[in-house]
Amino acid sequence: MKALSGWYPVFLREMLLFRRKLLRLSYLFSAMIVPLIYLVAFGFGLGGSVKIHGTSYLAFLIPGLVAMSSMNNSYTWVASALNLNRLYFKTFQIFVQSPISHSAIMAGEVLAGMVKGLFASMLIILVGFATAPGFTVTPLFLLTLLLNCFLFASLGIITGMRAKSHEDTATYTNFFIMPMAFFSGTFFPLDKVPIIIKAIIYIMPLTHTNILIRKTSLDAEGLVSLGVLCAYAGVIFFYGSRIIRRYSE
Amino acid sequence: MIEVAGLTKNYGEIRALHNVSFSIADGEVFGLLGPNGAGKTTTIKILTTLSNPDAGRCVIDGYDISGSPHEIRKRIGVVPQENNLDRELSAYENLLIYGMLHSVKERGRRIREVLETVGLWERRDSVVQHFSGGMQRRLILARALLPEPSALFLDEPSVGLDPQIRRHIWDVIRKIRKDRRTVVITTHYIEEAEALCDRVGILSKGRVIALDAPGRLKEQVGDYVVEFVDEDGRLVQHVCRSRAEADEKARSIEKAVTIRQANLEDVFIKLTGERIE
Repeated sequence: MKALSGWYPVFLREMLLFRRKLLRLSYLFSAMIVPLIYLVAFGFGLGGSVKIHGTSYLAFLIPGLVAMSSMNNSYTWVASALNLNRLYFKTFQIFVQSPISHSAIMAGEVLAGMVKGLFASMLIILVGFATAPGFTVTPLFLLTLLLNCFLFASLGIITGMRAKSHEDTATYTNFFIMPMAFFSGTFFPLDKVPIIIKAIIYIMPLTHTNILIRKTSLDAEGLVSLGVLCAYAGVIFFYGSRIIRRYSE
Repeated sequence: MIEVAGLTKNYGEIRALHNVSFSIADGEVFGLLGPNGAGKTTTIKILTTLSNPDAGRCVIDGYDISGSPHEIRKRIGVVPQENNLDRELSAYENLLIYGMLHSVKERGRRIREVLETVGLWERRDSVVQHFSGGMQRRLILARALLPEPSALFLDEPSVGLDPQIRRHIWDVIRKIRKDRRTVVITTHYIEEAEALCDRVGILSKGRVIALDAPGRLKEQVGDYVVEFVDEDGRLVQHVCRSRAEADEKARSIEKAVTIRQANLEDVFIKLTGERIE
């Protein structure tokens, strides 16, 4: 654990900045707007006439929106802020030049990204409680949510460190995040998808988040998804730490 | 003690540093003088562990930069060229985070001390984005001093500041000098190097072309410069060994001339044929 000592000031800095952002309504608006649009368009519009596995579409959709929103917010805020801090504001260099380890920088940034992802998810969960009668939050749901935030905040570090400009981060988002948001079982179940496409979809980590977050208890399928998510999270965290360790201008 | 030997750094095809060597004694104020692109910032980035050299060795207080970057980071303070402060945080919060990163003991007391040193204690709760450029520079200086580093690296500490603020920054640097800390300053301001540095290394195109005390460097070119503008609008300069020689030279020129004391830029011009700007 010694390698992680020093994570707290990295985390605290992000939280102080986040606190200031929360005071601006534009932040809350941007965190909420995309999932709310999907909720209204798909949930209330299309969803009224559709049932999935015997439950209302809204009860199916809300966990998917929570997964998507946690992914988007954990990933985007980390990738975007880190890229700007590294290339334009040069505040990332303060961490690199301080006597804390690369793992501590990684841990502090990822935890801060998780908080941002969880905050946005909580807003959707509250909407879920208010609008979808069949919607429940189980311990497995919370575990999945935490794991998903961890995974995508770690991925955000990789993008933030790798992207050569702020515009470049959008390219990563369009290639990896957008397809995942739509094809990983957020909006529709995957059982009727053609087998070839399904193989690709099952490579995406968000697919396993969507499988796991909708389960009430851990069965064989859930265990596989949990394993895949843990493996992804571990590899991405390790790789992100390695990029920070090798940072040189 | 800082020892640099054979430092080389390439950015693709461009050789930013070529076999740079120098050593700096404890408590010395050492300047790296040169035009933009000479390799000053690259040298500072390597010495402060932000950039890895392609070849060469740097040792600070007995610790090698490549082998023990963590130990180096415990011992140095850095004022980078950019004002890399968190603009949405207050001055106090900026120092608090930095103090925690560097495990500064008695943080509250130290933050107060350094903010008072740079004259910003009264503005501690103000958000940095409302600070002027000079105030931001002073805050970065305070931040670098917070962990009481044995060596302080200042990359163009007064660039872009008006003369009054520049003098204030110089006063702070002189205070630091009294604490017997080693200070490394990069600058392209001649007067800054002359005013603050015990010794100056002149960098040109990634190489150290001269290294000595400012006075001794100037002795190499002469004491006085006679200069005038010729028919084509070019500045012509003659370096003279004495005032009498300068007066005689001035009388021989049938134009309006200026006689001034030689400075480090004259050394640079003599060595490279180019000006520092």
